[in-house]
Amino acid sequence: MSNTWLFYMSFAAVLLFIGLYCLLTMRNLIKLVIGVVIGAKGFGLALVATGLDKKNIILAQALAITFVVVEVCVVAMALALIINIYRKTGSLDVRRLTKLKG
Amino acid sequence: MIIEIALLCGLVLFSAAAIIFRDLLKAAICLAVASLLLGIVYFRMKAPYIGVFEISVVAGMITVLFIVTIALTKTGGDVREARAAAWIFPIMLVLFLVVDVFVVKSLIDKIPALEAAPEQGTLGEVLWKLRTLDLVGQIGIIFAAVLGVLALFRKRSKDE
Repeated sequence: MSNTWLFYMSFAAVLLFIGLYCLLTMRNLIKLVIGVVIGAKGFGLALVATGLDKKNIILAQALAITFVVVEVCVVAMALALIINIYRKTGSLDVRRLTKLKG
Repeated sequence: MIIEIALLCGLVLFSAAAIIFRDLLKAAICLAVASLLLGIVYFRMKAPYIGVFEISVVAGMITVLFIVTIALTKTGGDVREARAAAWIFPIMLVLFLVVDVFVVKSLIDKIPALEAAPEQGTLGEVLWKLRTLDLVGQIGIIFAAVLGVLALFRKRSKDE
Protein backbone atom coordinates (compact mmCIF):
# COMPACT_ATOMS: atom_id res chain seq x y z
CA MET A 1 0.00 0.00 0.00
CA SER A 2 1.41 3.36 -0.97
CA ASN A 3 0.47 6.75 0.35
CA THR A 4 -0.67 7.88 -3.09
CA TRP A 5 -3.18 5.05 -3.25
CA LEU A 6 -4.52 5.87 0.22
CA PHE A 7 -4.80 9.54 -0.77
CA TYR A 8 -6.81 8.85 -3.93
CA MET A 9 -9.00 6.23 -2.22
CA SER A 10 -9.84 8.70 0.57
CA PHE A 11 -11.07 11.22 -1.97
CA ALA A 12 -13.03 8.49 -3.77
CA ALA A 13 -14.70 7.65 -0.43
CA VAL A 14 -15.65 11.31 0.07
CA LEU A 15 -17.24 11.44 -3.39
CA LEU A 16 -19.16 8.24 -2.67
CA PHE A 17 -20.37 9.71 0.62
CA ILE A 18 -21.65 12.86 -1.12
CA GLY A 19 -23.48 10.75 -3.70
CA LEU A 20 -25.07 8.50 -1.08
CA TYR A 21 -26.11 11.48 1.05
CA CYS A 22 -27.79 13.01 -2.00
CA LEU A 23 -29.61 9.75 -2.74
CA LEU A 24 -30.81 9.42 0.85
CA THR A 25 -32.05 12.96 1.51
CA MET A 26 -33.07 14.73 -1.69
CA ARG A 27 -36.62 14.77 -3.01
CA ASN A 28 -36.09 16.18 -6.50
CA LEU A 29 -35.79 13.39 -9.09
CA ILE A 30 -33.09 15.21 -11.09
CA LYS A 31 -31.08 15.73 -7.88
CA LEU A 32 -31.19 11.97 -7.31
CA VAL A 33 -29.62 11.36 -10.72
CA ILE A 34 -26.96 13.98 -9.90
CA GLY A 35 -26.21 11.93 -6.77
CA VAL A 36 -25.78 8.78 -8.85
CA VAL A 37 -23.33 10.58 -11.16
CA ILE A 38 -21.28 11.91 -8.22
CA GLY A 39 -21.07 8.42 -6.71
CA ALA A 40 -19.98 7.04 -10.08
CA LYS A 41 -17.14 9.58 -10.19
CA GLY A 42 -15.88 8.13 -6.91
CA PHE A 43 -15.97 4.59 -8.31
CA GLY A 44 -14.04 5.63 -11.42
CA LEU A 45 -11.39 7.40 -9.36
CA ALA A 46 -10.99 4.31 -7.14
CA LEU A 47 -10.59 2.04 -10.20
CA VAL A 48 -7.92 4.18 -11.86
CA ALA A 49 -6.07 4.83 -8.57
CA THR A 50 -5.90 1.08 -7.89
CA GLY A 51 -4.56 0.50 -11.39
CA LEU A 52 -1.92 3.17 -10.80
CA ASP A 53 -0.82 1.54 -7.55
CA LYS A 54 -0.73 -2.02 -8.91
CA LYS A 55 1.24 -0.93 -12.02
CA ASN A 56 -1.64 -1.97 -14.25
CA ILE A 57 -3.04 1.34 -15.41
CA ILE A 58 -3.99 0.21 -18.93
CA LEU A 59 -6.27 -2.57 -17.66
CA ALA A 60 -7.76 -0.13 -15.16
CA GLN A 61 -8.46 2.32 -17.96
CA ALA A 62 -10.18 -0.39 -20.01
CA LEU A 63 -12.43 -1.21 -17.05
CA ALA A 64 -13.09 2.47 -16.35
CA ILE A 65 -14.12 3.08 -19.96
CA THR A 66 -16.67 0.25 -19.65
CA PHE A 67 -17.90 1.85 -16.45
CA VAL A 68 -18.31 5.27 -18.10
CA VAL A 69 -20.39 3.71 -20.90
CA VAL A 70 -22.65 1.99 -18.36
CA GLU A 71 -22.98 5.24 -16.39
CA VAL A 72 -24.05 7.20 -19.47
CA CYS A 73 -26.66 4.57 -20.36
CA VAL A 74 -28.06 4.63 -16.83
CA VAL A 75 -28.28 8.44 -16.82
CA ALA A 76 -29.91 8.62 -20.26
CA MET A 77 -32.48 6.01 -19.25
CA ALA A 78 -33.17 7.68 -15.90
CA LEU A 79 -33.66 11.11 -17.46
CA ALA A 80 -36.05 9.67 -20.06
CA LEU A 81 -38.02 8.08 -17.21
CA ILE A 82 -38.05 11.39 -15.33
CA ILE A 83 -39.48 13.26 -18.34
CA ASN A 84 -42.23 10.65 -18.62
CA ILE A 85 -42.99 10.83 -14.89
CA TYR A 86 -43.16 14.63 -15.19
CA ARG A 87 -45.66 14.35 -18.05
CA LYS A 88 -47.84 12.00 -16.00
CA THR A 89 -47.74 13.72 -12.60
CA GLY A 90 -46.72 17.31 -13.44
CA SER A 91 -44.13 17.34 -10.70
CA LEU A 92 -40.58 16.23 -9.99
CA ASP A 93 -41.28 15.40 -6.36
CA VAL A 94 -40.37 11.85 -5.44
CA ARG A 95 -43.12 11.83 -2.77
CA ARG A 96 -45.78 12.13 -5.45
CA LEU A 97 -44.94 8.69 -6.82
CA THR A 98 -47.41 6.87 -4.60
CA LYS A 99 -49.61 5.15 -7.18
CA LEU A 100 -48.46 1.71 -6.12
CA LYS A 101 -49.02 2.46 -2.44
CA GLY A 102 -51.47 0.02 -0.90
CA MET B 1 1.29 16.34 -5.68
CA ILE B 2 0.11 19.80 -4.61
CA ILE B 3 -1.70 20.25 -7.92
CA GLU B 4 -3.49 16.93 -7.42
CA ILE B 5 -4.58 17.93 -3.92
CA ALA B 6 -5.92 21.24 -5.21
CA LEU B 7 -7.74 19.55 -8.10
CA LEU B 8 -9.31 16.89 -5.87
CA CYS B 9 -10.35 19.46 -3.25
CA GLY B 10 -12.00 21.44 -6.05
CA LEU B 11 -13.70 18.24 -7.22
CA VAL B 12 -15.17 17.60 -3.77
CA LEU B 13 -16.21 21.25 -3.39
CA PHE B 14 -18.00 21.37 -6.73
CA SER B 15 -19.68 18.01 -6.07
CA ALA B 16 -20.92 19.34 -2.72
CA ALA B 17 -22.08 22.54 -4.43
CA ALA B 18 -24.04 20.46 -6.95
CA ILE B 19 -26.03 19.05 -4.04
CA ILE B 20 -26.41 22.26 -2.06
CA PHE B 21 -27.65 24.50 -4.90
CA ARG B 22 -31.45 24.68 -5.13
CA ASP B 23 -31.28 25.81 -8.76
CA LEU B 24 -30.97 22.69 -10.90
CA LEU B 25 -29.18 24.49 -13.74
CA LYS B 26 -26.44 25.67 -11.39
CA ALA B 27 -26.20 22.15 -9.97
CA ALA B 28 -25.77 20.66 -13.46
CA ILE B 29 -23.03 23.16 -14.32
CA CYS B 30 -21.22 22.44 -11.03
CA LEU B 31 -21.37 18.76 -11.94
CA ALA B 32 -19.79 19.51 -15.33
CA VAL B 33 -16.96 21.47 -13.69
CA ALA B 34 -16.38 18.59 -11.26
CA SER B 35 -16.12 16.17 -14.19
CA LEU B 36 -13.65 18.49 -15.91
CA LEU B 37 -11.44 18.56 -12.78
CA LEU B 38 -11.62 14.76 -12.50
CA GLY B 39 -10.58 14.50 -16.15
CA ILE B 40 -7.51 16.65 -15.45
CA VAL B 41 -6.69 14.43 -12.44
CA TYR B 42 -6.84 11.39 -14.75
CA PHE B 43 -4.42 13.08 -17.15
CA ARG B 44 -2.04 13.75 -14.24
CA MET B 45 -2.31 10.09 -13.22
CA LYS B 46 -0.97 9.15 -16.69
CA ALA B 47 -4.32 7.74 -17.77
CA PRO B 48 -5.11 9.89 -20.81
CA TYR B 49 -7.75 7.68 -22.45
CA ILE B 50 -10.15 7.66 -19.53
CA GLY B 51 -9.41 11.38 -19.09
CA VAL B 52 -10.64 12.04 -22.61
CA PHE B 53 -13.71 9.88 -21.96
CA GLU B 54 -14.47 11.66 -18.70
CA ILE B 55 -14.19 15.13 -20.23
CA SER B 56 -16.00 14.43 -23.51
CA VAL B 57 -18.72 12.04 -22.36
CA VAL B 58 -19.39 12.83 -18.71
CA ALA B 59 -18.61 16.56 -18.71
CA GLY B 60 -20.04 17.11 -22.19
CA MET B 61 -22.83 14.72 -22.99
CA ILE B 62 -24.34 14.12 -19.55
CA THR B 63 -24.47 17.88 -18.95
CA VAL B 64 -26.35 18.35 -22.20
CA LEU B 65 -28.79 15.60 -21.21
CA PHE B 66 -29.32 17.23 -17.81
CA ILE B 67 -29.90 20.69 -19.29
CA VAL B 68 -32.39 19.32 -21.83
CA THR B 69 -34.28 17.53 -19.06
CA ILE B 70 -34.28 20.64 -16.86
CA ALA B 71 -35.58 22.72 -19.78
CA LEU B 72 -38.36 20.19 -20.48
CA THR B 73 -39.48 20.03 -16.84
CA LYS B 74 -39.11 23.70 -16.02
CA THR B 75 -42.44 24.46 -14.38
CA GLY B 76 -42.33 21.55 -11.94
CA GLY B 77 -38.82 22.27 -10.81
CA ASP B 78 -39.59 23.78 -7.41
CA VAL B 79 -39.57 20.78 -5.14
CA ARG B 80 -39.37 21.62 -1.46
CA GLU B 81 -36.37 19.77 -0.09
CA ALA B 82 -36.33 18.72 3.52
CA ARG B 83 -35.11 21.67 5.56
CA ALA B 84 -32.86 19.51 7.71
CA ALA B 85 -31.02 18.09 4.68
CA ALA B 86 -29.37 21.42 3.87
CA TRP B 87 -27.80 22.13 7.25
CA ILE B 88 -27.02 18.55 8.27
CA PHE B 89 -24.95 18.06 5.11
CA PRO B 90 -21.92 20.23 6.09
CA ILE B 91 -21.83 18.64 9.56
CA MET B 92 -21.99 15.12 8.14
CA LEU B 93 -19.35 15.97 5.53
CA VAL B 94 -16.93 17.32 8.14
CA LEU B 95 -17.56 14.29 10.38
CA PHE B 96 -16.91 11.98 7.45
CA LEU B 97 -13.72 13.86 6.51
CA VAL B 98 -12.43 13.37 10.07
CA VAL B 99 -12.85 9.58 10.06
CA ASP B 100 -12.27 9.13 6.31
CA VAL B 101 -8.52 8.50 6.17
CA PHE B 102 -8.52 6.15 9.18
CA VAL B 103 -11.42 4.08 7.87
CA VAL B 104 -9.93 3.80 4.38
CA LYS B 105 -6.51 2.96 5.85
CA SER B 106 -7.92 0.15 7.96
CA LEU B 107 -10.02 -1.22 5.09
CA ILE B 108 -7.48 -0.96 2.31
CA ASP B 109 -5.16 -3.67 3.66
CA LYS B 110 -8.00 -6.14 4.02
CA ILE B 111 -8.85 -6.08 0.32
CA PRO B 112 -7.20 -9.07 -1.31
CA ALA B 113 -5.53 -7.97 -4.53
CA LEU B 114 -5.62 -10.31 -7.50
CA GLU B 115 -2.31 -11.32 -8.95
CA ALA B 116 -1.94 -9.29 -12.11
CA ALA B 117 0.40 -10.12 -14.94
CA PRO B 118 2.93 -7.40 -15.72
CA GLU B 119 1.44 -4.93 -18.06
CA GLN B 120 2.02 -5.21 -21.76
CA GLY B 121 0.60 -3.77 -24.97
CA THR B 122 -1.49 -0.72 -25.67
CA LEU B 123 -4.98 0.12 -24.52
CA GLY B 124 -6.44 -1.12 -27.80
CA GLU B 125 -4.84 -4.55 -27.41
CA VAL B 126 -5.96 -4.88 -23.80
CA LEU B 127 -9.48 -3.69 -24.56
CA TRP B 128 -10.03 -5.81 -27.67
CA LYS B 129 -8.13 -9.00 -26.80
CA LEU B 130 -8.16 -9.27 -23.00
CA ARG B 131 -11.52 -7.70 -22.19
CA THR B 132 -13.56 -8.76 -25.23
CA LEU B 133 -16.45 -9.90 -23.05
CA ASP B 134 -16.71 -6.39 -21.57
CA LEU B 135 -17.22 -5.00 -25.05
CA VAL B 136 -20.04 -7.49 -25.69
CA GLY B 137 -21.62 -6.33 -22.44
CA GLN B 138 -21.22 -2.69 -23.44
CA ILE B 139 -22.94 -3.32 -26.76
CA GLY B 140 -25.79 -5.06 -24.96
CA ILE B 141 -26.19 -2.22 -22.47
CA ILE B 142 -26.16 0.48 -25.17
CA PHE B 143 -28.73 -1.54 -27.14
CA ALA B 144 -30.94 -1.92 -24.07
CA ALA B 145 -30.68 1.80 -23.26
CA VAL B 146 -31.56 2.82 -26.83
CA LEU B 147 -34.56 0.48 -26.87
CA GLY B 148 -35.66 1.74 -23.46
CA VAL B 149 -35.48 5.41 -24.45
CA LEU B 150 -37.30 4.67 -27.71
CA ALA B 151 -40.03 2.81 -25.83
CA LEU B 152 -40.45 5.70 -23.37
CA PHE B 153 -40.75 8.32 -26.11
CA ARG B 154 -42.84 6.42 -28.64
CA LYS B 155 -45.97 8.04 -30.00
CA ARG B 156 -49.08 6.82 -28.28
CA SER B 157 -51.71 5.27 -30.53
CA LYS B 158 -55.22 6.64 -30.26
CA ASP B 159 -56.86 3.72 -28.47
CA GLU B 160 -54.40 3.82 -25.54
